[in-house]
Amino acid sequence: MIRAILAILRKDLTLELRKAENFIAMMFFAVIILLIFSFALPPDNDNHKNLAPGVFWVTFLLSGILGLSKSFALEKDLGCMEALLLAPISRGAIFLGKMLGTLVFLLLMLALLIPLFSLLFYPEALPYFFEVLGLSMVTALGFSSLGTLLSGLTTDVRFKEILLPILLFPLLIPLLLASVEILAGIFAGRGFQGELDWLKLLVGFDLIFLIASYLTFDFVMEL
Amino acid sequence: MKLVRILGLASALGLGITAWLVFYWAPLEQAMGFVQKIMYIHVPSVLVCYLAFFISFLASVGYLWKRTEGYDVVALCSAEIGVIFCGITLVTGAIWGKPTWNTYWTWDARLTTTLILFLIFVGYLLLRRFVEFSEQQARFAAIIAIIGFLDIPLIHQAVTWWRTLHQTSTLFSMKPGGAIDDPLKWMLYVAMVAFYLFFAYLLTKRIQLERQERELRRTLAALE
Repeated sequence: MIRAILAILRKDLTLELRKAENFIAMMFFAVIILLIFSFALPPDNDNHKNLAPGVFWVTFLLSGILGLSKSFALEKDLGCMEALLLAPISRGAIFLGKMLGTLVFLLLMLALLIPLFSLLFYPEALPYFFEVLGLSMVTALGFSSLGTLLSGLTTDVRFKEILLPILLFPLLIPLLLASVEILAGIFAGRGFQGELDWLKLLVGFDLIFLIASYLTFDFVMEL
Repeated sequence: MKLVRILGLASALGLGITAWLVFYWAPLEQAMGFVQKIMYIHVPSVLVCYLAFFISFLASVGYLWKRTEGYDVVALCSAEIGVIFCGITLVTGAIWGKPTWNTYWTWDARLTTTLILFLIFVGYLLLRRFVEFSEQQARFAAIIAIIGFLDIPLIHQAVTWWRTLHQTSTLFSMKPGGAIDDPLKWMLYVAMVAFYLFFAYLLTKRIQLERQERELRRTLAALE
């Protein structure tokens, strides 16, 4: 099981690292969204202090969904999905491998996004780099669990580019709310201590949807 | 056939009696006055909506487990009716909110939860539209219904912490002070029964229709 997961993870990482087109597109898109926010919102720093957590996570959601929608596209294009399904491994292993692949790239993106975010939008974010990265791990886990499930589900569907966010974003609202509140606490200098309830909710979200997605993924991938 | 007709008559009768009672029997509520009467649509609608989504969830689990088409039909029909009643709830709530809270919409916990629930199940119906009619469509839709249902407690908790203004549910609260007056309460119960009957009628009728539709589709496919 573990070996199967790691094999799929390695395959995804190798493919992505060789070309990195998906990652670069995702990163570039995040920068553009940050620019748009900077232009669209009033420029004084007081406002940015209040807006920073929301802007950060909206940027993450919008660019993250770009990466998600490509997660299964490659498999479909080359008929690789059938081969994966024929392999003597469980569907759960495919799910976990794919999910971890997405998670790794989301975290990479977030690690780069934090300095860019402080450069382009909110300079006071950089000192909290490690706290924000820690929070990112928890948020990205929930995002990639549900995201991988729904991305797998919508690969064959017409209008999948629009259907994926329509299905995913309402489901992610608890995750977004919790992440925004915790990030506001971090920026206010309270670390994670101020928002322990929100952190519990966030971890609960991760666990529930990691398990639920793992279990229901079997039904997505039937030939 | 017979069941549908009986349910149809009963719900027409129930809704008629409810309408009559609401305007001629139920006393005016002291604080809110005439607007309060919209509660007799608002509250039953939201209860029907919850029940409909719950049935849809159960049927979805049943479908993934047993793989009988009947479950899929029930899940689809129940979700459709749930979305309609969810919409009615949101609209009547807005109409009521304007004179009472002086705003059509506010980001209160329960309003927000209902709105998100509405969006999730509209997504569910869209997915049904976009996937070809097949066993795959049934599977995918079932997954969305299950995931969406699991999300409800989390959404509710999150938006409750976020902000809250809605009055607590007065109908089921056991506190003597907070509960509503007797005639108003009975009025609500009557309206609830009428709405549940109406829901049962709509559901059976819709299931019948969906079955016929699928039958027809199969016959046409066989002819080609």
